[in-house]
Amino acid sequence: MTAPSMKERQVCWGARDDYWKCLDENTDDASKCKKFRSIFESSCPQQWIKYFDKRRDYLKFKEKFEAGQFEPSERTATS
Amino acid sequence: PASLDRASEVWSPLLPPPAWCREPGAHSSEGLSGGGPLGAPGLRTRLLVTGLFGTGLAAAWLWARAKKEQRQQRRRMEALRSAAVGQGDFHLVDHTGRPRCKADFAGQWVLLYFGFTHCPDICPEELEKLAGVVRRLDAEPGQPAVQPLFVTVDPERDDVAAMGRYVREFHPRLLGLTGTAEQVSEAGRAYRVYYSAGPRDEDQDYIVDHSIIIYLLNPDGLFTDYYSRSKTEEQITASVRRHMARFRSAFS
Repeated sequence: MTAPSMKERQVCWGARDDYWKCLDENTDDASKCKKFRSIFESSCPQQWIKYFDKRRDYLKFKEKFEAGQFEPSERTATS
Repeated sequence: PASLDRASEVWSPLLPPPAWCREPGAHSSEGLSGGGPLGAPGLRTRLLVTGLFGTGLAAAWLWARAKKEQRQQRRRMEALRSAAVGQGDFHLVDHTGRPRCKADFAGQWVLLYFGFTHCPDICPEELEKLAGVVRRLDAEPGQPAVQPLFVTVDPERDDVAAMGRYVREFHPRLLGLTGTAEQVSEAGRAYRVYYSAGPRDEDQDYIVDHSIIIYLLNPDGLFTDYYSRSKTEEQITASVRRHMARFRSAFS
């Protein structure tokens, strides 16, 4: 399969951004964003969808981590 | 006795002249410019001699240091020349099908990036950045034209045609380079590039994990600097300009 052209990449990124915007507005409730999800899935290669899903998870984790939501447990802190 | 009374400031040929009319280095029995009665050199003489000796030592030291620096510089230039020939060499094919090796770019500044055409976001972003740097450098009059190179880490899929389709969308001078798996591996080793193809899905599609670096090579073909993902277009442009201003060829 040939790689996506620049136009196809931009369409995919746009769909991804729309989907992520919907998730941001709905506190990551995927059920509220089914329409955007299906546009996203039809605009991007499957590998890219998996990649962007993982990227979203990572970005969300990073947000939480930087906001200090992950504290070391008592046990590990004193070990 | 009155003749030895300095405080009276009475000049008499019988007395030794007051300190301020004494000739330099003249023998004297007292004061700062005094010395022993047997004629040992005065302090001023001693200071002068020490000063001359010290100056001589300093000059000799500076000369020796300059010579050492010259030797080191010569050795460094020799090392650079031999490194420039062997270091970072590659044997690849460009996106027009023409064989290329590092020597083909001698005399040019090169910005080199390793990636693959099936890359979801990072490679397009880095190549856009690279193209932006090239455009900014092109805009400056009198500066040599920089050669951007894109080497694939996915030779299995990125053949000459695929590379051609990909690079022309970023910059007209961006040259795509591909080859056999061995040739790409050789190039990757030369630049310490990590790359690893991920698992394939049902479409046989996969993503290649790889280090994300833009390399700067000078006109001698020597690796000069590198720029990570966090460097902006402006920062890279400024850095390349600085290197260009400072550059002196090992082969001139």
